[in-house]
Amino acid sequence: MSKLTDTQIESSDDELPEEVAFDASKSAALKNVKDALEAVKREKDILKEKRKKRQQLFQEQKKKKLIPQELLEEFDTNPQKQEDPPVKNDIEENVSTKPLDINKDKEQKKKSRPKKRSKSLPDSYNVMRIKDESASKPLQQKALDFIQSRLYGPGTKRTTNVELLSLSKKRGTNQGAAVLFANKKLGVEKNARIVRSNKRFMKQHKLASF
Amino acid sequence: MGEFKVHRVRFFDYIPSGIRALAFNQDTERIAVARMDGSVEIFHCPDRCFQEKIIPGREQCGIEGLSWVGDRLFSAGLNGEITEYDLTNQKVKYTLDAYGGPIWAITGNQQGTHLAVGCEDGTVKLFELIEDTIQFERNLDRQKSRIISLSWHPSGSKIAAGMMDAIQIFNIETGHSIHRMLVDRGVGTSRSRECVVWSVVYLSNGTIISGDSVGMIKIWDDQTGTLIKSHFITKSDVLALSVSRDEDSIVAGTSEGTVVQFQFIAMVLGKDDKEWVRTRTFKNHTHDIRAVAEITTAVVSGGMDTHLVVKPLLDKIEVKSAASAFRKICFPHRRLVSCAKKSGLMLFQYTGHLELWKLGESEGQGMPGSSLLIKKNPEKLLHLKLKGEDHIRCSAVSPCGEWIVYSTASSLRLYQLHCANNNVSITKISNLPKVLSSANQLCFSSDSSHLFSASTQSVHLVSLSQDGCKFVGTLKPKSGSHQAIHLLAASEDGKWLASANSDHEVHIYNLQTLKAHCTVPVYSSAVTAMGIHPTTNCLFMMHADQQMFEYSIELKQYTDWSRTVQRKGLHSLWLNRDTPCLNVMFNPQNPSHVILHDAYMLCIIDQSLPLPDDKALFYNQLTLKSLPEKQRKSQSHAFKVCKTFKDILCVELMSDQSLVVVERPLEDLATQLPAPIKQKKFAT
Repeated sequence: MSKLTDTQIESSDDELPEEVAFDASKSAALKNVKDALEAVKREKDILKEKRKKRQQLFQEQKKKKLIPQELLEEFDTNPQKQEDPPVKNDIEENVSTKPLDINKDKEQKKKSRPKKRSKSLPDSYNVMRIKDESASKPLQQKALDFIQSRLYGPGTKRTTNVELLSLSKKRGTNQGAAVLFANKKLGVEKNARIVRSNKRFMKQHKLASF
Repeated sequence: MGEFKVHRVRFFDYIPSGIRALAFNQDTERIAVARMDGSVEIFHCPDRCFQEKIIPGREQCGIEGLSWVGDRLFSAGLNGEITEYDLTNQKVKYTLDAYGGPIWAITGNQQGTHLAVGCEDGTVKLFELIEDTIQFERNLDRQKSRIISLSWHPSGSKIAAGMMDAIQIFNIETGHSIHRMLVDRGVGTSRSRECVVWSVVYLSNGTIISGDSVGMIKIWDDQTGTLIKSHFITKSDVLALSVSRDEDSIVAGTSEGTVVQFQFIAMVLGKDDKEWVRTRTFKNHTHDIRAVAEITTAVVSGGMDTHLVVKPLLDKIEVKSAASAFRKICFPHRRLVSCAKKSGLMLFQYTGHLELWKLGESEGQGMPGSSLLIKKNPEKLLHLKLKGEDHIRCSAVSPCGEWIVYSTASSLRLYQLHCANNNVSITKISNLPKVLSSANQLCFSSDSSHLFSASTQSVHLVSLSQDGCKFVGTLKPKSGSHQAIHLLAASEDGKWLASANSDHEVHIYNLQTLKAHCTVPVYSSAVTAMGIHPTTNCLFMMHADQQMFEYSIELKQYTDWSRTVQRKGLHSLWLNRDTPCLNVMFNPQNPSHVILHDAYMLCIIDQSLPLPDDKALFYNQLTLKSLPEKQRKSQSHAFKVCKTFKDILCVELMSDQSLVVVERPLEDLATQLPAPIKQKKFAT
């Protein structure tokens, strides 16, 4: 602080203020403005470049999504009308039918469901049998959802059966270990987690693993 | 005397379905139980709550309510249909769409003339009962929210409906609502959810009692339409209510598994001012209780833990007997497992599919009680899924293991099994005779050449061969009831067939002449298991009250041994067992042995040994082991009970002298049930 006051005192006492030429200051101001304009231009260019690159990336990704023409030719059985993939047209007009699998080793008589999937329809359409979709189904589903949410949904305090059995073991007449540990089938996930954390501990502390 | 190799089978993953509704018929003393999978079971309460009839359900058919009107049984479900059941033939009589959306409640009036259903769209629909069917009469005023529960006033002039956040009382004649009573939502977080009035009960003096989702029992007055008293019984929901016949006791079932009883008594003894007071609490369930019913001397409750609990009310019982004891019915009283004795195969009957397993093999010898090493694991040979929506009613596998048959309510299918080396293949037998359309019970003859199919009151006989099956004849009793047959037993030599029906009648048929041979005198209790002895051709029957009879078919009279048993009486510990015997087997090597089992024990009755006195030690196997050889003979009696196995579903004796015991531990079953309510217990 003392240095500052010294220079101030020095400059104010003895000399006249410095003479700065008008040209020099003018050129300095112009230079500043130019610099600022250039900086803005540069930023705009950078943003433009970024946007261009992103757009290109998206186009390439979209190209990758569409199945190349050769594969389409392989799949088809019927004569097809194809459109060029780079042109944005996703609707593929091929119908492919998969043969129904009949497993002969283990005879399974499942409910027969139709396996034809027609690819000629736009995405928002869906094929269903009239038998499957009866008028009462959505209402019935709504009613089932209502009961499910009232009895088991949010707002209810539910626990698991395993915990219930473990509690009864702890407080019951023949007291024993919790069911998760006693019954191997039930405690599978917990046991797996315990084994993993043990391994991690051993590795961390660089204990010998045998 | 009896050393057997035992195959202990625990891979039958049988999961019973939760109980959704109960209905008690006072006149016939039967209780109807509706399960979540749509099946309806009828239990006969005085006869040790024996499961008399089972009407199988269908896929995607949920029952929400059950109601007796007179002696007709109706049910309604979320698919919007009302179903009437034909109890004689054990099947659905017809279904009627109510056109109101999903139905939440169904109830009949005390006069037996009308049926009311509460629907999702807010209407209460009235149906009139006419001779063989019901007819839609009219709708009461439509409300804005869904109707969850209904209760008729005993006079039949008013009806109370429990809805979301409110209870409404309707006048039946005009159809208009008389009162609308608002039910409080709970405090705290439950204030944002609507309060569901899960059940209402309308008493004859005008009081309405309701149980709701906040956990309160509220008592209302219908003259003024106001709340009289409110009792807080649980933090979770009160799901079911039931009133006794005299209207002095109410039982409520909660989501936590407790049953609470309220009684209309005076607080001070002798005074006249009565009020509803909470008296008893029963904690017999672990999961939600969806239905309760108060029968004359007991409280019956059932819920998501699939057990039916009958708890006797000790102040209503005069004599404490086995008939009025605490009962917990976990497993059905029918056989779900059938074994092919000669080829070591087992058929498991599930509701929607069948599984065929081959028993494993062990090696080596061992001390009694030890387990042997397994040389070959049991393997699943066949998984047969059903086509269609019906559930399986009965199934059987032939003793040689070549034929499998099952029946649903609408169809019967017969398959021939080919086991060549390691390949298993089945072929369906088409073009079955028209009489084989549906069966209540199925049985193969001991040489696998014939199939017996019982439908309604007659038994159809069909012969099986490599070319297919041919209809041989029909066996009809000379006279008797039209009730459906639920048990069949064929003799070893192929000459006799015995059938038992739900009216406690046992008919014996001669298979060579295809005519009825004789009828066993009717006993007051239902037959739970029967078998025909291979050499003496005596029919051994076990009843629901744990009595046993032996009837000689050729001589058409009871045997001397059976008369001795009746004269002497059975030991009280035998009579007090609470589960019925489901199978009777004979040992070809020891003709005087009869092997029986129930859910908790396995017993061999030696007919050559003396019967035990009532005062003698009944379970004396361990003491006999410790005695020296000479004393054993004097101390031993005819009943040899083994209690090593628990939760037994089936015991069968194979032709290679090994026993198969199919167990279903209740703990394994408990892990498959839906989630229970979290209850905080001290020090956990």
